[in-house]
Amino acid sequence: MSDTFSAINIISAVAVLTGLGIGFGALLGVVSERFKREDNPLVEQIDALLPQTQCGQCGYPGCRPYAEAINQGDALNKCPPGGEATIHALANLLGREAEPLDGEAQSEAKVAFIREAECIGCTKCIQACPVDAIIGAAKLMHTVIEDECTGCDLCLDPCPIDCIDMLPRSTPLTQWQPAIMPSSHVIVSDRISASGGVHVERL
Amino acid sequence: MSSAYDFPGGIHPPQRKQRSNQAALIEAPLPKRVVLPLQQHSGQPATPCVVLGDVVKVGSVVAKREGMISSDLHATISGTVGEISATHITIEGDGQDEWQRLPHLDWQSAAHEALLTRLSESGIVGLGGAGFPSHIKARVVERHAIHTLVINAAECEPYITADDLTLRHYPAEVLEGAQIIAKLCGAPHIIIGIEDNKPEAIEALQRELQHDQTNSQPVPVELTVIATRYPSGGERQLIKKLLDLDVPSGGLPADVGVLCHNPGTLLAILQAVRDGQPLISRIVTLTGDAIAQPGNRWVRLGTSVKELLEQAGLNPSGLHQVIQGGPMMGSPLLSLDTPVTKLTNCLIAATIDELPAPPAESPCIRCGECESVCPVALLPQQLHWYARAQDDAKLARYHLFDCIECGACSYVCPSHIPLVVDYRDAKSRIRLQRIEAAKAEYAKHRFEFRQARLAREEAEKQARREARQAQQRRMSTSAAASSDTVDLRGLRIAHAAAKASVKKAEKTLARVAQEDPKQSLDDLEMQLATAQENLRAAELQLAQAREQQSSKESP
Repeated sequence: MSDTFSAINIISAVAVLTGLGIGFGALLGVVSERFKREDNPLVEQIDALLPQTQCGQCGYPGCRPYAEAINQGDALNKCPPGGEATIHALANLLGREAEPLDGEAQSEAKVAFIREAECIGCTKCIQACPVDAIIGAAKLMHTVIEDECTGCDLCLDPCPIDCIDMLPRSTPLTQWQPAIMPSSHVIVSDRISASGGVHVERL
Repeated sequence: MSSAYDFPGGIHPPQRKQRSNQAALIEAPLPKRVVLPLQQHSGQPATPCVVLGDVVKVGSVVAKREGMISSDLHATISGTVGEISATHITIEGDGQDEWQRLPHLDWQSAAHEALLTRLSESGIVGLGGAGFPSHIKARVVERHAIHTLVINAAECEPYITADDLTLRHYPAEVLEGAQIIAKLCGAPHIIIGIEDNKPEAIEALQRELQHDQTNSQPVPVELTVIATRYPSGGERQLIKKLLDLDVPSGGLPADVGVLCHNPGTLLAILQAVRDGQPLISRIVTLTGDAIAQPGNRWVRLGTSVKELLEQAGLNPSGLHQVIQGGPMMGSPLLSLDTPVTKLTNCLIAATIDELPAPPAESPCIRCGECESVCPVALLPQQLHWYARAQDDAKLARYHLFDCIECGACSYVCPSHIPLVVDYRDAKSRIRLQRIEAAKAEYAKHRFEFRQARLAREEAEKQARREARQAQQRRMSTSAAASSDTVDLRGLRIAHAAAKASVKKAEKTLARVAQEDPKQSLDDLEMQLATAQENLRAAELQLAQAREQQSSKESP
């Protein structure tokens, strides 16, 4: 009697556990299929740190391909528009060593400007622009939409008559930035000379 | 009647209001020339709609609003347009003062749309200082239920008496303007919040309210007198004091069902609706020890500050600086050749004894005074460290963007640290970073769109080529079956994914458009277009593959 009882016990325990295993296995399988992510979230994060000029100075056709290459182990220092700040941000994200920039750092943000009187309307720059920031048609003057231009320089080479200049980006008044003064003393005990005297009287 | 609630902190700087609130309100002489900046409001600058040499009358539209948050601009004197530049329009006056008014509108019977249109075409913006277009503010009811309209007559900053004089001279008009706004936003209740340092204005309002009780106003009005303390005129501080409601961080008063309006704005609204008079003049307080006849004036917008101060008896030798706005939050004018705008509520021509330059900054001694006076209960001292260190993550954690820049912390600082300057710098730096980040994101989406478009064009070309080849094959009947196997399943998955992403982009666009109709949707539209291009390319590839499949099976 007790033998049959324990046999039923064992069988039921095995059956229950097997059932649970199959059930959860199926659930996991379904979920992994259903919520599958094609893209790599790390690539997304790297891409978000890149300046999105799409200039190709890194040797890849756009920022995203470079982000993928970085994820595969390529160097972090191939992005001149991003400069040191981008390298440090990437090094922080990936836990890698920050390397000095490979190439010349850009001193200020620039945009392309077409000397419109000289433009012959060849449309070569329009085809080169990665962000569709140049408007114009064949044999008609072209011009650059300043707000959309990322300053990637890609339109300079195709231009047969060199009528494109890179000019500093104009800043609207609403984006005026105050000159940051370096603070000389941070906390009171840091002061070396006491010549200034500390004003403690209330107004 | 005093309120039981209170906001933290606050200070009691010397009032100095007597200098300007003794004289009666008068009209400033008509200027010979006005300079109208295209941006006198928050949001996008207006676009000029006149050309050089056009003859304009007082109230003619000279610049149209551009984009969602923007405001029309009107000629404030009659004459000819003398100059149009990227930032301003100049009108040379003819001295005739000929008017062009809009028709009278009876607000009690007029439709909401008509009233909103009137506010928009009259160029009314908030005259308290922020300059937010009133017609947009009135649309807040589309997303929030408003239970109280607050008339913000606290005017807590020293020197300024423009609202005080507005209420003394036009109590009935201000209350009627409030009724218009209450009707527009469906508020069942109006509260006037006023500081107890304006007894004449309080008396005028009480008289008007008693008078009103006999010929019953549609919405009940309550007058609440609060103790004088800076900055009780801050929107959030006043709401806390009057209603004990806390406006959430990063939110608007509408989030707690309250709308705030300045008495000057309400007067302008009534004038626009009743008299058809657009916003062409405002009350400006002229004060300070360097002028002989201080007081409040009705000033045509665009009048030169220099002209105005000279008419008030400016003593150039005693003048140290001219401050636009109040001494706490205002900014010193670098040049007196600037025009009065919709946002100029006060001009202080101060002598050096009156508002001396602050003493040299000393190091922070961590006394904590600033923390005890902050009306938003922030930690100004911590913000000071982080702002100087440019530690943006910490600044965000200490709620830098909740700072109302009232200047109470700088005022009490025993080390004379210009704390508010630090916060403003940090805020504008962070704002610029956000703009840059948004721009980079937008550039990325444009790049993706271009890639998608090129892919679609390529797919179309391919499809045409295949079709041509198929035609030729049928002609020659030589069954030169293509050797490459078609990955129909993969293409079908790609097609479904493209379809899903179009749907997702459409949904996001619709949701954002509904949530915040004011914001620009260019970026989201670009993403939708990208998804559509991808879908078209996938469709073409799929159709082509099916064609191949069927042609392979049928022969």
